[in-house]
Amino acid sequence: MDFTLDSEHKALADAVREMASRRGARPSANGAGPRPHDPDLWSAMAETGLLGLPFREEAGGFGASAVEVFVAARELGRAGLQSAYADALLAGSVLADAGDDLLGSAVAGEALVLPALAEPMRAFAPVPGGVTATITGEGAVLSGTKGPVPTGAAATHAVVTARIDEEGAGGSTSGETVLVLLDGPRVENDVMVLDGASGRILLRGADADRALVDALAHASVVLAGQALGAMESAMTMTSDYLRTRKQFGVPLAAFQALTHRAADMYVSLELARSTAMYLAMSVAEGDTDPALVGRCRVVLARTGRHIGQEAIQLHGGIGVTAEYAVGHLTAMLTAIERTYGDPRQLLGRLAADVADYDTVGVLT
Amino acid sequence: MQRSLSAEDARFQAEMREFMTTQVPQELRDKVTAGVELTKEEFVRSQRILNAAGYAVPHWPAEWGGRDWTPRQLHIWQSEMQSAGVPALLPFNVSMVGPVIATFGSEEQKERFLPATANLDIWWCQGFSEPDAGSDLASLRTTAVRDGDEWVVNGQKTWTTMAQHADWIFALVRTDPSAKKQEGISFLLIDMTSPGVEVRPIQLLDGGHEVNEVFFTDVRVPAENLVGEENRGWDYAKFLLGNERSGIAAVGALKRHLARIKSYAARVTDENGESVLGHPLVAARVAELEAELMALEVTVLRVAGHSHDGKPDPASSILKIRATQLQQDVLELAVDVAGSMSLVWLIEDDAAGEIEEDAVIPGWARRSTPTYLNFRKASIYGGSNEVQRQIIAGSVLGLKG
Ligand SMILES: Cc1cc2nc3c(=O)[nH]c(=O)nc-3n(C[C@H](O)[C@H](O)[C@H](O)COP(=O)(O)OP(=O)(O)OC[C@H]3O[C@@H](n4cnc5c(N)ncnc54)[C@H](O)[C@@H]3O)c2cc1C
Repeated sequence: MDFTLDSEHKALADAVREMASRRGARPSANGAGPRPHDPDLWSAMAETGLLGLPFREEAGGFGASAVEVFVAARELGRAGLQSAYADALLAGSVLADAGDDLLGSAVAGEALVLPALAEPMRAFAPVPGGVTATITGEGAVLSGTKGPVPTGAAATHAVVTARIDEEGAGGSTSGETVLVLLDGPRVENDVMVLDGASGRILLRGADADRALVDALAHASVVLAGQALGAMESAMTMTSDYLRTRKQFGVPLAAFQALTHRAADMYVSLELARSTAMYLAMSVAEGDTDPALVGRCRVVLARTGRHIGQEAIQLHGGIGVTAEYAVGHLTAMLTAIERTYGDPRQLLGRLAADVADYDTVGVLT
Repeated sequence: MQRSLSAEDARFQAEMREFMTTQVPQELRDKVTAGVELTKEEFVRSQRILNAAGYAVPHWPAEWGGRDWTPRQLHIWQSEMQSAGVPALLPFNVSMVGPVIATFGSEEQKERFLPATANLDIWWCQGFSEPDAGSDLASLRTTAVRDGDEWVVNGQKTWTTMAQHADWIFALVRTDPSAKKQEGISFLLIDMTSPGVEVRPIQLLDGGHEVNEVFFTDVRVPAENLVGEENRGWDYAKFLLGNERSGIAAVGALKRHLARIKSYAARVTDENGESVLGHPLVAARVAELEAELMALEVTVLRVAGHSHDGKPDPASSILKIRATQLQQDVLELAVDVAGSMSLVWLIEDDAAGEIEEDAVIPGWARRSTPTYLNFRKASIYGGSNEVQRQIIAGSVLGLKG
């Protein structure tokens, strides 16, 4: 296993860092809350090549791997920039699997294609629940409700997961997953009501399930990179603050009760770093096993939670203000922890299989 | 040792429950239970109902509305209020400045302020912290200089909760710059409408406005507004902080909140269409929190923790640490139960007090993350949990470095 980043990775990181500092996070009335889609930032990300990073050159992409995606996402996380990057690569991965032409415009930043996987009042699951599709030749008519679809109001297209509810033309089997592309989805209040919306079928059955596993693994690499970047920034800000903030006539760093807590944060950070890199290289080599992805995500959730909570605490009052970046980083880590499933669900799925093997190997 | 309530206490409990659940308007209690922010008017309305019945300040001296209840009865009173979702009595009034004035104030101050404080005719805010005086409160720099019959106040307070609603502020000010830091501080009552007082909002990460900066420029305060003795303010502040801390241990409210989360979890389904409350990891977490809350509640019953004989009880530090940890854990569980729905927020100012229980993505789910993040404050305010550990280590265990 080789964890070194080469000069090309570093150049990519520099380019993204430069773009992020130029685009910077803008003030928002919503504190550290979710922001609407920012078209300027999105164009800048397209220009920097981020939107096409892992996709084939024929589709306007760069044919890079999950490692490059990780490198770029980490810089976005370091800068605390909210965007639909993970969502867009998830949807892009499905389009690529389906060989759909729309990928080109998505990569160029012209189309904003977002996945609609989550359903209200339902814990996240890779397979759809209450949204059903009736197959009509090449298309499908959907019913049910998806949500939340964060930033979905800005989407030009949506990749919707649904369950086939009837034997239709083309020999589909009832209950199978289908991935449907909707043109001009209507998202209001973060919710997409699909009363009779019809769209193009991208993939179905086992192909759809496989594509989803792959897409979720790629999106998890984005989340891992962003989480690691946010943790790195939160760690740096905290150490700097302990060195500069004075109380009782001395810098906070004079209190071992605090420096030991910072040291524990650093332990978490290093484990997060190895884990995020390990996930990126695994996916880059085509290993998208949900158990592996799940284990990595559990570790990143735990470490992100630890670092985010402690970063606020060690800052004192200023840590919970909207003005100061550390709370935004923690908000980002909190959201990442619950995107495409939360650690308790991921652990639940891992727990179901522990009797089936002896140890978890990492070298293959 | 005896577990059961005496017949008298049982009667008392029934009386409290009856009152809290029938006399305080349901609409207010529903909002509290759903975690909706209340308006100033709503807090005032609720506190006046309680005060009229003699239930706003039963812990004060009898002369000023106190009821001479036993610690057990005070506990029952609080937990019945909290489990019924009664809006909190304004802590700045009932547990902070009120007891200070009642214990250390002059007769004139008592007459002038206590009835109005109990009835929330005066809304108080707490002017202790400053930008450079947080944990090290005694290093505060706001000064009050005597000029004839007045004090002239200059300086800045920060993190002043709800100063935007406040009529008066109780402030710690430095009256003797030459004394040792704790010895030159006085406790001063300042009318917020005095010329030279300016309030500026601070936005918190949930997007809400609950804290402020308060600036004082040549603010003239009548000399009679100084509480107790000049330069003894630090003692009064310690007395007050002891009460603030134990007030933070709102076990009844935590139990009610956890019960709500269970009801939400019962409605959220997993991929097999079953309730996530049946998910072993969710259920185990609930069970764990319930056990820990039980331990906190019996500890509150065992060590009341209120300041007495003018001094804080170190037990208040134990309660503050544990209660805020559990509060934060309970709120975090709500985020997990909301799952993907926690990714979208409801900003309190936009919601305009709506509960949105039946929305496609219900209000509780949209409130889960901002509320969880907001309550990271609980381990910071009221004397941070690190400072509480310091107090336990020093005052209880005798471990002084
Ligand atoms: C939402 C909110 C509401 C508030 N409301 C009010 C109010 O109404 N009125 C008011 O007067 N104040 C209020 N406060 C202020 C609060 O009391 C202070 O924030 C608190 O005392 C901590 O001070 P600080 O923020 O300056 O942090 P600092 O004191 O700078 O502390 C930063 C970190 O260092 C730690 N630390 C500091 N000293 C030590 C030490 N010796 N040993 C170990 N650890 C240490 C702290 O625990 C913290 O983790 C409020 C604060 C918040 C966040």
